[in-house]
Amino acid sequence: MLAMIHQKLEIVSRYAVWAGGAALMAAAFMVTVDVLCRKFIGITMSGSDEYSGYVFSATTTWAYSFCLLHRSNVRIDAVYSLLPKPVAATLDVVGCILLLYYMFIMTYYAGISFTQSYQNDSVSITTLATPQWIPQLFWFAGLVLFFITLIFVSLYAIVSLLQRNWELVNKIAGVPSIADVIEEETQGQDVVLASAETLDRTR
Amino acid sequence: MAFGILIGLLVLVLSAVPVAAVLGILSFLLDEISMGGTLTAALAEIYWDKSKEFILVAVPMFILLGEIMLRAGIARRMYGAVIQWLSWLPGGLMHANIGSCTIFAASSGSSVATAATVGTVAYPEIEKRNYNESLFLGSLAAGGTLGILVPPSINLIIYGLLTDTSVPELYLAGIFPGLILSGLFMLAIIGACLYRPFWGGTKIETTWGQRIRSLPHLLPPILLFAAVVGSIYGGIATPTEAASIGVMMALIIAASFKTLNFRMLRDAFEGTMRTTAMIMLIVFAAIFLNFVLGFMGITQAMLNFIAALGLTPVQTIYLIVVFYLLLGMFMETLSMMLTTIPIVFPIIMKLGVPEFSDVWFGILITLLMEAALITPPIGVNLYVVQGIRTRGGKFNDVAIGAIPFVFAMLAMIVLLITWPNLATWLPNLVYH
Repeated sequence: MLAMIHQKLEIVSRYAVWAGGAALMAAAFMVTVDVLCRKFIGITMSGSDEYSGYVFSATTTWAYSFCLLHRSNVRIDAVYSLLPKPVAATLDVVGCILLLYYMFIMTYYAGISFTQSYQNDSVSITTLATPQWIPQLFWFAGLVLFFITLIFVSLYAIVSLLQRNWELVNKIAGVPSIADVIEEETQGQDVVLASAETLDRTR
Repeated sequence: MAFGILIGLLVLVLSAVPVAAVLGILSFLLDEISMGGTLTAALAEIYWDKSKEFILVAVPMFILLGEIMLRAGIARRMYGAVIQWLSWLPGGLMHANIGSCTIFAASSGSSVATAATVGTVAYPEIEKRNYNESLFLGSLAAGGTLGILVPPSINLIIYGLLTDTSVPELYLAGIFPGLILSGLFMLAIIGACLYRPFWGGTKIETTWGQRIRSLPHLLPPILLFAAVVGSIYGGIATPTEAASIGVMMALIIAASFKTLNFRMLRDAFEGTMRTTAMIMLIVFAAIFLNFVLGFMGITQAMLNFIAALGLTPVQTIYLIVVFYLLLGMFMETLSMMLTTIPIVFPIIMKLGVPEFSDVWFGILITLLMEAALITPPIGVNLYVVQGIRTRGGKFNDVAIGAIPFVFAMLAMIVLLITWPNLATWLPNLVYH
């Protein structure tokens, strides 16, 4: 059941990341056209900078869940990697809970910012006068998705910890191995990795 | 109290708690203790304002540009071309490793991806041409670090944001030190291979005809670099706009190599968004910590402490260099930059030496981050190169092979402190 929810969340976050990437590429196109028009035709299409700022804010928060589920959040593992598995697994859960606390506060204030803009009909101080609640809605929704994912990951990790399934805790909330990191960073490229057995044998 | 907070912070960081959470919770705590939580109440506004800041849009754009270029299929062709031009030197292909990494760095922001991609192409040559494996692997790990110094560099954007330093000036300042450091890496290889000629493998025969014919393979990354950096200095574009133009050019290059397809874009999007999320989660926490520290006067306390030591400016700089070299052995580079810059940067500015400017320090700190990438026990690039060794081998081989390059970096750091103009000359020429 928990594994199934984990998988579903992964799929949702993956779609969110594809949409975010596509939006970013569209923003790059818009900004490029703006620069070329300004330089060669002398026409300034105001607003591409403002819109790309909104795209950036929303795509970033929508990518947080993907980052979390792929265990890509930055952690200092100098000591962690030397610890026995049960201790490391406990630290994984502690880390999750502290991140949850931090994100609760950030999401709460983001929520305040969104509600205030909506209630006050705030608009940007540019020629576009964009109602702020619209981009803020996308931005805030991404944070909410992240928060929900964090609650789930924390629960899943706690359950696995209580079941003394250290490998599963690591798979859900641990620090990935270097082979995992390279595989993530070079996905789809012509990079050949040593097998885990080769690395383990020779370390 | 400050001591207690510091110990608590250290314990949390060493317990592998996500860095973003450590920085964020620390800011809330400091604000609660010293100002009764008044700054946290302003968080809603700060968070939204920074979330949509146009200069920050450059970060995902440069990452996307690098992700597309990595998948455009230029690595193998480019490496083949660089071999033609550089392998006559003592040390042969190891110079091609450095050269390819330098060119690759000009389009990629990730040192992990640079070392892994060039490494995969180069690795089989060790056995084929009898190279000293350790030194060869060291050259790949060291070459990969150039990604964060040679513009476009994501680290320099984040430094610029935290310290209010001009990103275009930082980019200009990174060019000469980047080239000099590549040169020093090559000198290290030549020195090692003159000392032990058999480390340098079997020679590759080439002709001027072959060299000329290989040139078109070098064109795509060089054109991209010229367009991105050129548009900033031509006054046509801001760094974010230049990055957007770069993304469009990278798509055209990938299309011309027939590597542009849905799957490739999807992989590039996933890579881009994952890295962006990873960076931004910490950046926003660091921005808030920076804000709280500014109000608290911790920086002033730090300045008083440094003044009480009675060191000359140059001695203070060397003290900071040693601090970063030690810290870099254990900490990941981005979090190291974000946690220390709010405190260290004001110290540099208070030294009162015009040559030790904000732009100059941006380059110095980037060099120190590069050193951190190849100093054990935690040196990300060492692990990356170890990760691509399909035949296996001891981790120590890579760590030992990187030693000559660490010395080259130290030499570069000394050069930069002795002649700060190496970094500031070009931006001063253009802007002042």
